[in-house]
Amino acid sequence: MNQFLRSLTPTQQVAALFLIVFGLLVIASTAALFLSFKERRNPVHDAAWQAELAHYRKLLGTTWFMVIVFWVGWALGETVATVLFALIAFFALREFITLSPTRRGDHRSLILAFFVVLPIQFWLVATARFDLFTVFIPVYVFLAIPVASALADDPSHFLERNAKLQWGIMVCVYGMSHVPALLLLSFPGYEGKSAFLVFFLVFVVQTSVLVQHVISRRTQRKPFAPNVSRSFNWTSWGIGIVVASLVGALFSFITPFKFGQALAVSVIACISGSMGHLVMKALKRDRGIPNWGKKGVGVTGANGLLDRVDALCFAAPIFFHSIRWYFNL
Amino acid sequence: MLAKLTGWLLLGIVRLLTGAQARWYGCPPKAEQRIYFANHQSHADLVMIWAALPEELRTITRPIAARDYWANTPFKRWITTEVFNAVYVERAATVPAAAGQPTAPAEPEAPPPPPARAAAAPQAERIEPSMEPLLPMAPPIVDVTPEAFDEVQGRLDLPAPPPLPPVAPPAMEPELPSPAAAPASDPLAPLVEALRSGDSIIIFPEGTRGHTGEPQKFKSGLYTLATMFPEVVLVPAWIDNVQRVMPKGEIVPVPILCSVTFGAPLRVEEGEERRPFLDRARAAVIALRDV
Repeated sequence: MNQFLRSLTPTQQVAALFLIVFGLLVIASTAALFLSFKERRNPVHDAAWQAELAHYRKLLGTTWFMVIVFWVGWALGETVATVLFALIAFFALREFITLSPTRRGDHRSLILAFFVVLPIQFWLVATARFDLFTVFIPVYVFLAIPVASALADDPSHFLERNAKLQWGIMVCVYGMSHVPALLLLSFPGYEGKSAFLVFFLVFVVQTSVLVQHVISRRTQRKPFAPNVSRSFNWTSWGIGIVVASLVGALFSFITPFKFGQALAVSVIACISGSMGHLVMKALKRDRGIPNWGKKGVGVTGANGLLDRVDALCFAAPIFFHSIRWYFNL
Repeated sequence: MLAKLTGWLLLGIVRLLTGAQARWYGCPPKAEQRIYFANHQSHADLVMIWAALPEELRTITRPIAARDYWANTPFKRWITTEVFNAVYVERAATVPAAAGQPTAPAEPEAPPPPPARAAAAPQAERIEPSMEPLLPMAPPIVDVTPEAFDEVQGRLDLPAPPPLPPVAPPAMEPELPSPAAAPASDPLAPLVEALRSGDSIIIFPEGTRGHTGEPQKFKSGLYTLATMFPEVVLVPAWIDNVQRVMPKGEIVPVPILCSVTFGAPLRVEEGEERRPFLDRARAAVIALRDV
């Protein structure tokens, strides 16, 4: 089996991988469908069971969504993938800004963020100008945005407003732009297979978030930071990291890493991803919303894309820069 | 065909920038004759409601466009008639000029109302039901008080007129021009016509664009239409966040999610007075902010 997989071209290997993932998803979704027909005798148990199932189906839906996005990105080539991630960053930033109050004076800065910074950053990624793309936002943009705000002649809450906007750009644009950047990393002897690296990152981070979630629902431990997240505790966090990292290590054959290296980068990705998830939860709590979707709570039409990508936004830059530094790429 | 494509393109842009999310709370989207009335914060409000309506309703729901702005180039006229199917209303195209002059060129035969308003009001009152470009017309009636001028503004979806020079307000006169006073010059006439022909309309009873937060007091056009067409369903709507997309004076919109919340229909109760009804309608719109 392994021999057979090795004999395939990189493209065929990636295709085979997607085939396997889609197959697993189809099985999981079919199982969910059949389970939803099942009825418990006790109506209370039945309601709880249905709620649990609905939650599970939602998670599955997220996974489907992400896998399809990656598949499309891979199938249509690197440029299309970059554009795709640029669009995701755009929608995520749109949601972020919607829920962080801005003032009239921020308008020009917002135009700058959406229509100048975002395209330039992704263009830098697409053209593989790594040196500029890693500093463009933290150096140039972070100094340019306050200038635009100051020129708008509105000093009230100046620091807060700029911090909000810069943080939004940092997470949604800078973080997200590192995902397609992975496609352009050239490991020796790994040409044409960088799509695996993106898949690896997303898969590992998503696994850790998912495992954490399931464990914290099962164990009912005391939350560590109840004001931020009612489900976050160190036990389920640790289990999530361990499980996801082991899974990542097992998948080392699709990456340019050896077993130990894959384990290490998985740990890095999982920790940064789960911490990013927690940070975004704190932000959401501050805005008084259960998730970015805000369904039934407020009027804003944010639809929760940021919920799905927040872990990735944090994990991608750290993953990218740590492997780039370690492997001297 | 081209109009349809343009409509889709516009819809795509609006959705990309604002999400254009419709939330039907008090009533479902339904093909019955309706008057949608909403808070007014931005020039984009109209497009927001238009984009939030489902496709089938979009074709039978007519927004209101000021003729002097939306019909002054062939392209604008084409887009408002073919894409939005708008109802044109008149507004004082020359108000800025007239208001800038200390003494307006009042017609000699005109009675002597306050000078600046005398020039502005007749223009505002002027009605031209055809699609032809605005032709210079002799000012028809001039028995319009400032109060009535405000009423006229209030009935229509018009941007705020520039502040008029302070003039001594004349004695109070009846707020509504009496029906006998030349119905042909009633600025509501195009709306009445649209409602008679069975279309739904979108109006902004505040009259002018408000600032963020609470909408201003509603003007009486809504009441007039509601009493004239008791069978038409009045649907309140709250448009959220649009003022952040394109604040006054900016030309580039930024992408921020917006939503339009539609509430439970309202009706004029038996014997209900104008002001209580308008306050109730305004409260219904404001209540949608928090659902």
